[in-house]
Amino acid sequence: MKIIVTAKRVTDYDSKVIPTADGKAINFDNVDFKMNPFCEIAVEEAIRLVDAAGEGEVVVVAMGDEEATQEVRKALAMGAHRGVLVECDESKLDSDAVARMLVKLCQDERPDLLLLGKQAVDGDSNQVGQLVAEHLGWPQATFAYKLSVEGKGATVQREVDGGVETVRLSFPAVITTDLRLNEPRYPSLPNIMKAKKKPLETMSPEDLGVALGAPKVEVVSYGLPSSRKAGQVVDSVATLVSKLVNEAKAL
Amino acid sequence: MRDLFNPTPEHKALRDMARSFVEAEVEPQALEHDRAERFNQPLFRRLGDLGLLGVTVDERWGGSGLDAVAAVIAHEELSASDPGLCLAYLAHSMLFANNLSLNGSDAQRARYLPGACSGALVGGMCMSEPDAGTDVLGMRTSARVVDGGYVLNGAKMWITNGALDDHTLGDVFLVYARVEGDARAALSMLIVEKGDAGFSLGQRIKDKLGMRASGTAELVFEDCFVPAERLVGERGAATLHMMRNLELERLTLAAMSLGIARRCVEIMNSYASDRAAFGKPLRDYGQIQAHIADSYAAYMAGRSYVYNVAASLSLDSAGNRVDSDGVKLYCARMAKEVADRAIQVLGGYGYVGEYNVERLWRDARLLEIGGGTNEAHQKNMTRDLAKVRALR
Repeated sequence: MKIIVTAKRVTDYDSKVIPTADGKAINFDNVDFKMNPFCEIAVEEAIRLVDAAGEGEVVVVAMGDEEATQEVRKALAMGAHRGVLVECDESKLDSDAVARMLVKLCQDERPDLLLLGKQAVDGDSNQVGQLVAEHLGWPQATFAYKLSVEGKGATVQREVDGGVETVRLSFPAVITTDLRLNEPRYPSLPNIMKAKKKPLETMSPEDLGVALGAPKVEVVSYGLPSSRKAGQVVDSVATLVSKLVNEAKAL
Repeated sequence: MRDLFNPTPEHKALRDMARSFVEAEVEPQALEHDRAERFNQPLFRRLGDLGLLGVTVDERWGGSGLDAVAAVIAHEELSASDPGLCLAYLAHSMLFANNLSLNGSDAQRARYLPGACSGALVGGMCMSEPDAGTDVLGMRTSARVVDGGYVLNGAKMWITNGALDDHTLGDVFLVYARVEGDARAALSMLIVEKGDAGFSLGQRIKDKLGMRASGTAELVFEDCFVPAERLVGERGAATLHMMRNLELERLTLAAMSLGIARRCVEIMNSYASDRAAFGKPLRDYGQIQAHIADSYAAYMAGRSYVYNVAASLSLDSAGNRVDSDGVKLYCARMAKEVADRAIQVLGGYGYVGEYNVERLWRDARLLEIGGGTNEAHQKNMTRDLAKVRALR
């Protein structure tokens, strides 16, 4: 069984992220980076599936500058077999460009499964898995919270509003992971050392037939959420209703 | 730019792994185990799964085979949440596992190190006695040569991991003793196992000021027979083992101080933003600024000193004594003072357990005593510096 899995480098969710003065970008000073938590879940799941199959490999892919090597190495330390870093200027990437590069990679590598996080916690776009599936004409299951492989296909349970939807798809397929699918392992120190010796190939977008130009999605501005106004204490239900009607205009 | 604190990508990966483990698994239990004076052995075992218990032990014996910098990173990260647990880790991984890995025979390594690296065994080291601490050569524990081995008599005091709970001995110990008839400075090292006849738990030491999540005990040896194959290295040659291992012990104790200091700086820094008085945040007041800025600068000075020494400390030779004493002398006091400032910034909240700085302040205090008192470091350093005319 062969699985391609993504490992995006994102800002640590514990870091305080603020826009630059002109609002056009994010100020990354004093910000830590980590692997996107949904990607981490995808990596964990890929390793478990290949372990359970008893054969095959997990290929981990990251896109970005050289620093993103750390996320590839982390996935290798968790148990992935080899890594690919598509070295590029991350500011030129959007969901479309990432998807097109993954499409080419899937065409070259011919995996049974492409596993991705349902979204990255920085951009929150939730588009890449769906775009790749569409381009390749592969079946897709997004928001997976349970996943079992049977022969040349998988059964996926998806969390949807009000319940669980169960879908069956045949390989090759695209699956994106939700939060409750598994609990990713910590890479052990001996495995961190072994990961150093695992193969890691560096490519450029051009190697994947994609010329990065201006992203299709242009960010107009970033801003902080407006701060919450102080609450009020009212003395009666009548006052509350009147304030809801007249001031908040909520009724 | 070279990163002094994470000199290789693997060191960085170790720090990231340790920090995420500590935040998710260690932090939630720290206060509770401090209050209950209880060693969290299941959590300790998990450090074995992560490869941290054998951080400096060769891979042949189940370890991770890393260097002093890696050991410093592990201690700094653990101690930022739970110095008590970290002290048990230090006694096991540095004082027992690293010591035996450097000084033991292959047969001894094969017998104990795989278990020590996995966490199946909890180990410790025995140097201090009820009547001999800093004056370590004043120790009175004796080993009498008999047919097939030694008979050990004496008592050891303040032994971390000596007790796993109120009644259970730790599993295996490196015990320094003097073979009868040997010179004062010619100490020997013997391996003593739980279950050896004549080896028993004296008192489990309770009511410590800090480091309450580690089990401290007095261990008693009464006509305890130790077979000859459990002598580590040559008879009378263990004083050198002791000196060599003390360098790493002191470096990692200094690293524990760094963890405490970092956490205290983080806590006072965020509190000063969140808390307002007289209509503005605490951090806008000069008195609070002095606490935060002075603490940060002292922490970074200590951190730079520790990582500089760690980078040049080789595990298998002595020769860094001035600085292995120096980092601990500086950082232990620094951490206590930073914790004290954190309490001051938090006011009443700093004085209660929930906000953590109270516990860290109590834990910090041990580091000016254990593994060498401040006064012992001053004595050693001044003696060694007498040989130096100019500092390069």
